[in-house]
Amino acid sequence: MKVSGLFLIQLLLILPGFSQSISPKKAYVNHTEVGLLLGRVSYDGNYGWGGGNPNQIVKNRTNLSMQMFNGLQYNHRLAVGLTTGLDWYTAALINPLAAGARYDLTGKKNVRLFATADAGYGFAWFHKNSEGYHLTGGTMLNPGLGLRFGKPDGTAFTLSLSYKYQQARLEIPTANDIESRVENREYNRLALRMGLLF
Amino acid sequence: MRKAILLPVLLLALSLWSCNDRCTETRVTKQFTPVTISLMEIRKSVTTQAPRTLEHPGKIYVRGNYLFINEIKEGIHIVDNSNPSNPRFVAFVNIPGNGDMAVRGNNLYADSYTDLVTLDISDPVQPKEINRVNEVFKTGQFDGGWWNYNESIGAINGQDVTYVTQEIETNCEENPVVPGFWWWGGGFFRTMDVAFSAQSMAAPGGGGGDGQGGSMARFALYDQYLYTVGQNDLHLFDISTPTKPADFATINLGWGIETIFPYKDKLFIGSTTGMHIYDNANPAKPEKLSVFQHMMACDPVVVHDDVAYVTLRSGTNCRAAQNQLDLVDISDLTRPRLIKSYPMQNPHGLGIDFPTLYLCEGAFGMKVFDVQDRFAVDKNLISHFKDMDAYDVIPLGKNLMLVGKDGLYQFDASNPRQIRQLSKIPVGSLSI
Repeated sequence: MKVSGLFLIQLLLILPGFSQSISPKKAYVNHTEVGLLLGRVSYDGNYGWGGGNPNQIVKNRTNLSMQMFNGLQYNHRLAVGLTTGLDWYTAALINPLAAGARYDLTGKKNVRLFATADAGYGFAWFHKNSEGYHLTGGTMLNPGLGLRFGKPDGTAFTLSLSYKYQQARLEIPTANDIESRVENREYNRLALRMGLLF
Repeated sequence: MRKAILLPVLLLALSLWSCNDRCTETRVTKQFTPVTISLMEIRKSVTTQAPRTLEHPGKIYVRGNYLFINEIKEGIHIVDNSNPSNPRFVAFVNIPGNGDMAVRGNNLYADSYTDLVTLDISDPVQPKEINRVNEVFKTGQFDGGWWNYNESIGAINGQDVTYVTQEIETNCEENPVVPGFWWWGGGFFRTMDVAFSAQSMAAPGGGGGDGQGGSMARFALYDQYLYTVGQNDLHLFDISTPTKPADFATINLGWGIETIFPYKDKLFIGSTTGMHIYDNANPAKPEKLSVFQHMMACDPVVVHDDVAYVTLRSGTNCRAAQNQLDLVDISDLTRPRLIKSYPMQNPHGLGIDFPTLYLCEGAFGMKVFDVQDRFAVDKNLISHFKDMDAYDVIPLGKNLMLVGKDGLYQFDASNPRQIRQLSKIPVGSLSI
């Protein structure tokens, strides 16, 4: 949480500096995306109650993700700003708040490759805990690449492929002979998104 | 075009990255190992030793300037507390299987597995065993580990408790709290809790120089009797001759008894299923008046006038999934009625110095409430001490004593709105 706070403060401090170098006709950038977080999970089907005999199960995971980047165009390639999102993991609703950047790798063509990167903290503000459980979020990293289709200075349609890393921590209620239960989660996902950039 | 080739290469790299969710649950579980200890060995082990450090502090008991801290299953620390800002350990009495104590005059009554031991503490540095009532308690538990008396061989069949940490790969979802059926096998009785009894603010009648216990004590002094609660019965010891307690009577109370709380001429007995109210007008023969039933839970009780304060908590040994403080109207003792329930975090022991209620929240610290408005207790939180483990508390008017897994704390509570820490004896250290 501290980390993301610092990010935001730094961002606020440096943003006015950016405005100096922006061409007046296009200063503000919005990149709204919706997509899927694809991954797998392998776990012990006995939840550790099997007396030392794990029952290994592997399953696919597909979850919905939405995010919006709001930023300022720093130069004709780079835009920096703030990314907010909502990720519906199977048993967690995480809302990341991150510093983000969009960088055009290729020149002024109608189909261009761009790099995308967001780093920040995923909160569990909107997650409803089950009785006795308590979820807190954690660090979020999301670097990747995308393609934008559209005129260089107009609205563009984007497809992106990125790696998404999200931490979370869950406190689980105890009972009987169990003293404490804490689950540390690391979501490692392939994010496949489409969006609009203007 | 050169860069266009880059794209498929990068895509490939991305897809080769491990996209597996990694969720690990760290679970600390109690493990029970069976042990057998002979009564002969137990009986010759009551000795006074040099002061030791606190390791697993249990119940606390105060008598005059002295403070008695139970070391779970091992004995009693004796602490000179004439200066609460600087308490001093003076001795450790090794009493195997000890969990409870009570003091009248210069006599300290302590349990040692099956036996009730009386110690002369006129010299607190050198307590001496002066009496022993043999084989009165048949079963009990420490820290979740059960013991019972094996009459045929004259030994205790017990369980040693160790803590095991497990790392489990999970599916990143909310896994079941506990699959109940795994535990019902041999552990049924294990689900009942450690005894929580309550301390009495009203001075127990008839006792010349009785001490005061915390809300965890299973022992209570009243009139010429020492009351002790077991899992399903109430034992009365006649202590009209304080140096020679005699086994006087046993009253069957039903199942899962945890606490005994004498208040005025009534006994409030807490069990895992509810609170029993007994009329104690004739101390030799308590009579049942009513039962206040609630969910299966651990429930220390304290009483002030017409209100009983009962806490329920979830967690180890307690089967309830709720954590709450109940205020119960006991103006009609035959018909206790719920006033209001307040959700709490993990309430353990509690103590009342009306209108101030001290509530131990386990790892969440201690909360201090003003309970004058019985319908708005949650709105009258005076303070919340967070950086401590709070297990049980004894309000002593001016001072406040609190014990937790991390040690013993003493506070100046002359002004409940400005509670000041006087000292802390941390676990594993002899000095404050």
